[in-house]
Amino acid sequence: MFAYISRRLGVTLLILLGVSFTVYVIFAFLPFDPAALTCGKNCNDPGIIEANRKRLGYDLPFLVQYWVFIKGLFMGRTYGEGAALINCPAPSLGYSFQEHSCVTTLIGEALPVTLSLALGALVLWLVVGVGLGVLAARYRGKFADSASTVFVLIGTSLPTFLTGLMLLVFVVIKWRIMPFPAGNYTPFLEDPYEWAQILFLPWITLAFAYAALYTRFVRSAVIETANEDYIRTARAKGLPEGTILGKHTLRAALAPIVTMAGLDFAGLLGGAILTESVFNLPGLGRLAIGAVIEYDLPIIVATTLLAAAIVVIMNLIVDIAYAFIDPRVRIA
Amino acid sequence: MSKLKGKNGKLIAAAAVIALLVGGFVVRSGSGASEGGTITYLTNSESWTHADPNRNYTGQHIAWFGSYMHRTLTAYARAEGSAGSAVVPDLATDTGRASNDNKTWEFTLRDGVTFEDGSAITCEDIKYGVSRTFATDVITDGPTYAISMLDIPKAEDGSSVYKGPYATDKNDTAAYDKAVTCSDDNKTITFNLSRSVGDFNYTVTYLSFSPVPKAKDTGDQYDLAPVSSGPYKIEKYKAKDEMVLVRNDKWSKDSDPIRNAFPDKIVVRFGLAEEVRDQLILSDSEPNAFSLDSVLPTNLPTVFDDAGKPKAEWAERALNVYDPYVRYAAFNVKKVPCLDIRRAVYFAKDAAGLLQLSGGAAFGGDPADGAIKPLMGLDYKKVTGLEDYKPAGNATAAKALMESAKKSCPAEYARVTDPKRGLVFDTADSETNKKGAAIWIDSMMKNAGIVMKFNFIEPGSYYAVVLDATKQSDLSAGGWAPDWANASTVIPELFTKEGGFPMSQNWDDAAYAAFKKKSDAALSEPDRTKQGQMWAELNQYVVDQMWIVPGIFSKTQEMWGSGLGGIFFWEPQGAPSFGDIYIK
Repeated sequence: MFAYISRRLGVTLLILLGVSFTVYVIFAFLPFDPAALTCGKNCNDPGIIEANRKRLGYDLPFLVQYWVFIKGLFMGRTYGEGAALINCPAPSLGYSFQEHSCVTTLIGEALPVTLSLALGALVLWLVVGVGLGVLAARYRGKFADSASTVFVLIGTSLPTFLTGLMLLVFVVIKWRIMPFPAGNYTPFLEDPYEWAQILFLPWITLAFAYAALYTRFVRSAVIETANEDYIRTARAKGLPEGTILGKHTLRAALAPIVTMAGLDFAGLLGGAILTESVFNLPGLGRLAIGAVIEYDLPIIVATTLLAAAIVVIMNLIVDIAYAFIDPRVRIA
Repeated sequence: MSKLKGKNGKLIAAAAVIALLVGGFVVRSGSGASEGGTITYLTNSESWTHADPNRNYTGQHIAWFGSYMHRTLTAYARAEGSAGSAVVPDLATDTGRASNDNKTWEFTLRDGVTFEDGSAITCEDIKYGVSRTFATDVITDGPTYAISMLDIPKAEDGSSVYKGPYATDKNDTAAYDKAVTCSDDNKTITFNLSRSVGDFNYTVTYLSFSPVPKAKDTGDQYDLAPVSSGPYKIEKYKAKDEMVLVRNDKWSKDSDPIRNAFPDKIVVRFGLAEEVRDQLILSDSEPNAFSLDSVLPTNLPTVFDDAGKPKAEWAERALNVYDPYVRYAAFNVKKVPCLDIRRAVYFAKDAAGLLQLSGGAAFGGDPADGAIKPLMGLDYKKVTGLEDYKPAGNATAAKALMESAKKSCPAEYARVTDPKRGLVFDTADSETNKKGAAIWIDSMMKNAGIVMKFNFIEPGSYYAVVLDATKQSDLSAGGWAPDWANASTVIPELFTKEGGFPMSQNWDDAAYAAFKKKSDAALSEPDRTKQGQMWAELNQYVVDQMWIVPGIFSKTQEMWGSGLGGIFFWEPQGAPSFGDIYIK
């Protein structure tokens, strides 16, 4: 197991190196001048653009720029001089002049927000999605099944931003069932109640669409598994229905759901852009989208790397979890 | 210099004359105002563009930070209408003393002015603040008037030999120390300018002339935690979250006769979805909230009637006013030297269609007739020679001009009517601009037979591209707001080679030499009335030469909650007078 994990982590590092290089290459060949984006209204002065190019290191050859970035990960980086000197300690992912902050700091601030959002939503959609899916399968063709179909239809049809906006406008602003959040994020350790209050509607928004998909998926998987020979055997042996469903059917049906949930969760950690935007949550999604709009290369590289790392690591976790859920699978 | 950035601009009102006549304190009394409470500002923006005074440039930002946090040598009076354009002393005891043919300006600081830590604001603090504006690689985006006006030699590449306080290599600090001096008692600052600037006391209303304590300067990161010299100081500032200002207990009304300090606390909530921001105001669920952004077009009918007037229930809660901008399309005269073609484009344009796209006359504004807005009063005179103008385009006039162009400039005529080449128009890449492009293309072809093509440029680098003489196409969209109540911040800035925003590239035009001579003469004209006439004549000259195709004198819409009072539109900043807002 240890050798397997070490090997996978090694491959992960290579993938991340490849991703970072690819992002740099893409930026090198895009038809815009990053230095010209730094001086706003004073961009009619070529001297200012050149000075900024030098300060940001965009005057260096492409490969040197990339090397400086890699070196910064281990040795940190400094920018400017005199009173304007900026120091970003290792592991440095660069400095954002748009955000006036080291990128590692920005990531460190945004990650807990997205993690809180994604974790809460994951729990909610798994509980609702698996629960409704099992009910729909168990009572196939009956009211519970029909009701779940309506839920699935609504959930998959409504875009996330619309669900979020409607919840915010009606539940908070018009009906005032909940207060408008006092801030846009409070860490769990600082105030768990406020943390949950701020994230409650975003969780529902995000979980709604996913729960609908999972309901449909779990229903199909449970029905399919229920037709397996070993389930028929269990039933023939006289096992109670609850045991058959909980111990035999669900366990087999859950394996692909774990894979799906792992990848969906990984995708969300990369940033739930729409939900974060509607609810004004300062997470990774908003950080990334803002950087794309502003062509803020250091943040784009960092968020892309992080998203790639999360996907690769989640894949690893899913593979390991598989071995525990399904005894037929053994890690080699 | 102010460019297309939504409503973030600077309105310059008419009354330079009134300003000069008033010459002192026109301060809104704030009668009926009460102290206490929290005012909440709502915005879709993720943060302030800049909180560092030396980097503040847009009118809304200057109005906001200038009301609450940053003081400078002089400021605009807190008054409605044209009276607001009067310059009054702020940190200085008077509005400045000029000598040496307006090349030397002196300002003496008031007694008792302090930063938020209680330390006295000195001449050296102002001098240091101004010096930062020379560090254009660190202190980006701010006005560069100090660089262009102070008597500091230029290097071979045209940049200043002084590079600001951070540069350690090849930096002529002595040149700066000679251009800006402090008296022995550290209370009087003297600016030595390279040319006569009769309205330098308007220039120093900019926060780029605010004091910055050297010991607290952190370069780029000063933008996150600037030190206050005004009635409020920062308690919290986090992009994508909020800014919280609390009272600065070291500020004294005795040393600041122009500012009010009504609320106990001021909160700015960043990053709100646009519809959420509007709904919070429309439903009045936060009565003490003020939207810093324009009202969404879909919500305009809820607040305003068809004529653009606030509905009865909104009379005390909304404004629909002219913003500071003139929108236009600048010809690259080097690429389109043919006057007939330039004029044909003007007459062929479907201005009505384009105006409709901007919200119609009620919300978008009025068709412009030049580069100077009527609100400039003294400097504005209705432009003549455009009598054939028709809102939907005048095909007869345009075609006649194209016929003339066929003979006067056949090669250019052939190019702009060639489907493969045509006339190329630069504009920022946005959905609205793409709809506008369709109107341009259609009206040019229909009314003048001109083939118009569009070059959509990524918005963030738009100005860097079109201000690059080698990259600009035939025509480029632009917008401009004057920096203070004088067209000296319009005509020379837009139409002379040395200006800050010379998109017309008109300096090789045969008409340029005479224009430049007159512009220089207007700049140094001490008689303000006569100077105003000269600007109006130069504006006429610009339109005669059609260096720009005038677009729209634009408008903006503001709204706020029922709990707020004291709001009026502060014309010189083109923004609400934030400092006068109180909770009823």
